[in-house]
Formats: sequence, C-alpha cells, structure tokens
Amino acid sequence: MSGRKIGEVILDLKNISLSFGGVKALQNISFDVREHEIRAIIGPNGAGKSSMLNVINGVYRPQEGDIILRGVHHANMDSYGAAKAGLARTFQNIALFKGMSVLDNIMTGRNLKMKANMLQQAIWFGVAQREELAHRLKVEEIIDFLEIQHIRKTPVGRLPYGLQKRVDLARALAMEPQILLLDEPMAGMNVEEKQDMCRFILDVNDQFGTTVVLIEHDMGVVMDISDRVVVLDYGKKIGDGTPDEVRANPDVISAYLGASH
Amino acid sequence: MFYRENGQFKTSYKSDQQIFPIPQDRWAIFAIIAFAFFAIPFMVDEYLFRAILIPFLILSLAALGVNILVGYCGQITLGAGAFMAVGAYAAYNFLIRVSGMPALGAILLGGFTAAAVGIVFGIPSLRVRGLYLAVATLAAQFFWDWAFLRVKWFTNDASSGSVSVADIDVFGWIVNTPTDKYLFCLGTLVVFSFMAKNLVRGNMGRQWMAIRDMDVAATVIGIRPLYAKLSAFAVSSFYLGVAGALWGMINLGSWEPAAFSIDRSFQLLFMVIIGGLGAIAGSFFGAAFIVILPIFLNQILPVIGGLFGLEVSIALVSHVEIMIFGALIVFFLIVEPHGIARLWSTGREKLRLWPFPH
Repeated sequence: MSGRKIGEVILDLKNISLSFGGVKALQNISFDVREHEIRAIIGPNGAGKSSMLNVINGVYRPQEGDIILRGVHHANMDSYGAAKAGLARTFQNIALFKGMSVLDNIMTGRNLKMKANMLQQAIWFGVAQREELAHRLKVEEIIDFLEIQHIRKTPVGRLPYGLQKRVDLARALAMEPQILLLDEPMAGMNVEEKQDMCRFILDVNDQFGTTVVLIEHDMGVVMDISDRVVVLDYGKKIGDGTPDEVRANPDVISAYLGASH
Repeated sequence: MFYRENGQFKTSYKSDQQIFPIPQDRWAIFAIIAFAFFAIPFMVDEYLFRAILIPFLILSLAALGVNILVGYCGQITLGAGAFMAVGAYAAYNFLIRVSGMPALGAILLGGFTAAAVGIVFGIPSLRVRGLYLAVATLAAQFFWDWAFLRVKWFTNDASSGSVSVADIDVFGWIVNTPTDKYLFCLGTLVVFSFMAKNLVRGNMGRQWMAIRDMDVAATVIGIRPLYAKLSAFAVSSFYLGVAGALWGMINLGSWEPAAFSIDRSFQLLFMVIIGGLGAIAGSFFGAAFIVILPIFLNQILPVIGGLFGLEVSIALVSHVEIMIFGALIVFFLIVEPHGIARLWSTGREKLRLWPFPH
C-alpha cells in the first residue's frame, strides 16, 4: 500500500430505514465512507448488507434517511443518478448481459460517456466511429488490467464463474467510478481466484484511488484488505471500526458465534 | 481456397471493429450486393420479381424492424402489422395532401409517423413485459385496423375503402416496371440494413441488449429503461413504417387495411424467430424462408401427392403450410432459439477450422 491517503468523508449515510411491508430490512443505520478507503460491510445472512448497497446506488428507496454524496443530499437517489454521480457496482449473483461478448459487456459500462446521437451512430463513419475507438482504447486498458485479454470476444454465458465475476468488475471499472460497490466479489471462488480478486481490488484502490465499499463473507479477506468495517445484524448496525476493533466487539462475536445467554 | 483467417492479423482496433472483420466475408457480401444490383435484373422474369424478390426485400426490411425490437431489445410485439399500416397510410396521406411532396419524402415521413406512433404504443413496455406486453401491442394492431377501416379521413374518403397511388417518382426516375421496383427496394434495404447494423453494434445496440439481458444491471450502469425501450420502439416502428409504405405504394399499388392485418404481425414475428432473434442476417433468412416456403410447397406438394396417387388441393397446400410453420416455430424455439442465423454462424465456425478441426 503505497501512496494511498485516506481523505475526507465522501459518502455519508444517515439514519437509513428500509422496510418491505412488515419486514424491516434496515433500521436506522448510519455510517460513512471516506475517500480512497476500503470499507467492508459484514454480517450474517439476511442482515441487510445487499439491501444497504441497493439503497446506496438507488435500486431501493429507503423510507427514511439521507444519503450525502460529496456534500450533496440525495434523498431520492435513483440508479441513473447514482451512475452519473460516479457510483458503480458488481452483483452477488452475476448480472452480466449474457447474450453479449465480454468486450460488449465492458463497453456497455461506458454508455454514459458516449455522446453520439442516434443518426450519427446509424451512419457510423465519423463521430460514432471515433468515439467507439476512443472508448475501445479505454476498455482495452481495463481488459489488460484485469488480465482477461484471451476472452474478449467470448460470449459471457460461456465463461466459468470466476471469470464472469472478473468481467462484472471490469464492467463496473469501465464507468471509471469514484466509489465502487462490490457485492460479495469472492463468493463461490477457490483460493487462487480469491487471491486474484483481492489483488485486483487492492490495485484498483491503489492505482485509481477508487473508494471501495464491499460486502464479503470471507472474514480472512475482510480483515486483511479493509480499512474499516461496519457490521450489520437483522437490519441493525452492531459494530463499526477498524478490523481489530470489530474483531474484539462482543456484539459482533455473539452475532457470528451465537451468544451464550 | 479455404475459408480461414490464418495469417490475417488485426493491427488496429479500427480494423477489428469492422462489420465483417474477415476479408472473405467482406468480399462475399460485396459480391452478393453487386450481383443483386447488376446481374439479377437481367436474369429473372417478371413473375419472380413480383412473387418472390420484391416481397422478400420489403418483408426483410420489416423483419429488420421487428428484430430490433424483439431480438435486440427483448420487447415482444404483435403490432408490427399496425406500424406498417401507419407507415403506408401516413405516406399515402403525405403524398396526396401535400402538394409537391416527393415520393421518397412521403415514404420517409411515413416512417417517422410510424416511429411516433410506435413510441406511444411502446409506453406500456415500461410497466409490463413478456406476454402482457404482447397483449398491449395487440391493442395497437386492433386499434389501427379499426381506424383505417372506419375513419374515412385516412383513406381520403375512398368509397371502396381501398387507396391507390400512381407510380412513384424518385428524382425523375419513374418506378413502374418490376425491375425498377426491385432496384428501388433493394437500394432502400441495403442502406437501411447497414444503418441497422451500425446501430446494433454501437452504443445504442448495446443499451438495447443490456435491457434485454439484465435490466437491473443495465439501470445500475446508467442506462435509462425509458430511453432504451422507447428508442427501440421508435427505430423498429420507423423501419416497419418505411416497409409498410413500400409494401403499399410499390408492391401493391392499391391496398386495403387487410394488407396489414394481424396475420402480417404474426408472419413478421415468425420470420424473426425462424430467422434468428438478435441477428441482422436472421431477418433476411427468415424473410426468404417465409416468402419462398409457400411457393415451394405449391409446386412440390402436388408432385409428391401425384407419386402416391393423391389429389392435392390448394386448400390442403395452405393447411400444410400453416402446419409446417407451426412445427418449425416449435422446433426453433426448443432446439435453436437463435434461428437459422445461429445455424449459419455455427456452420461458419466449423468451416473456419475445416479440414483440420483440432
């Protein structure tokens, strides 16, 4: 970890409550994310971790609470607004575009940056072609970075799971996000794939200065790579702090290991 | 000469992003287009133009439109015939009501009118999908069937309900012989096909396919479903509208709303399913198949029947045709959902390795 310097609070979540009918998925949760840090969200199954990410990038609208992104209040964040504001994410159950090649999937990540109008695209020669080439260069950098050159033309449906996860990350990186939300990037991977993925996350954080918010079940990984950890259980926040603080927190231990009442 | 790419290296992304990155393909397509323009007009007779080639070209254009919406954007439509009708009647009205309106302008304006109507009838796609959307687009079909039959203004108060146009005039070129009509339709189809290909390989097409494949992930990377879906409806309806205008003004000359009935909508949907959803080439395969099959059966079934000493009536032929379509659609949906286009590309992949597949 070289020149990385953790900066000011970039994303501040205040008193977020989200419920689906009678189910209270999130209750009054507040935490913040600082610039350039790796922030982990952990908790047992059903704790509300994925709901939390869905709130941050506007897939779910919380009933209460406030999202402050770089000083701007987003009470009504929607997915499009979140993408415009520089939030990208990957999915727990890979959500790639199955009918498209790896290259097209990653190129889709750049859709917000492409400006050619429909007529220009239909004519292709001129504006659209120049734009396509410029973005292709950028996408090729990401492909190099994630070491997936050999599969660029393969339809994603044919790839093994570990590589699909990597393409998912590539598509998110193609947006050149300021904050990257990762929903269980290592779920279902073997040790080598996990090591690769850790390396990529650390490199992204280090080289591009991207702030990372990640959900992960592998405690070894979480404790190793994250700067601060927030712990959820049954929709409530039960712990927040550095990995060492969280590890020592009695509430967290009881949530994970079961309390002896 | 083997069909292979050994020794062909791409040294720039530009050459990698061509429509036909393999030179053999490129030359083959140029050869086919050149053949269609310069050789076919001297080779075939009037019957072939009228019965096969002109319908094939126009229906290919319509199938392209349906394929953009159904194959690329994943929105099922049963209203394709209605958008063709809107294009045809709009072009007709522009032509007769606006003095000095050039025919080409009327055809394009017909397309734009269809696009506007398509956007309106595409609005339900923002809330419903799949079968429910199909039913919603069916509403478009029935509404426009009714409107063109009952609202006299659209048909310029024609007492018979059918409208007709004179031979159209494209910058002084009077399109009246079958060869002229064929060339005009061919030119339109070539231009529109390349434009469709450019759209689907660029940002627009990727947005459509993203919405088709995984809409939640698409919205998260900043694609607006509203814009992506309605633009697919607009482009699709534009193609259908232009195809409808050509069908009415060039293929038929005079027509009634029945020319664009629900049968036409189903026929177009069958074309893209059999030809290949999400493949530009699939539109041509599907159109060729559906135009040629009935004619083929008409010729071949009586012969087969004769072998067994059976009398094959016209009615039987048309029943067999419907049965074969039904069987083929079930076959393709189960065995090869990507249609003839996928069979074609699989064959090409094999051919690239032939004769040394290892």
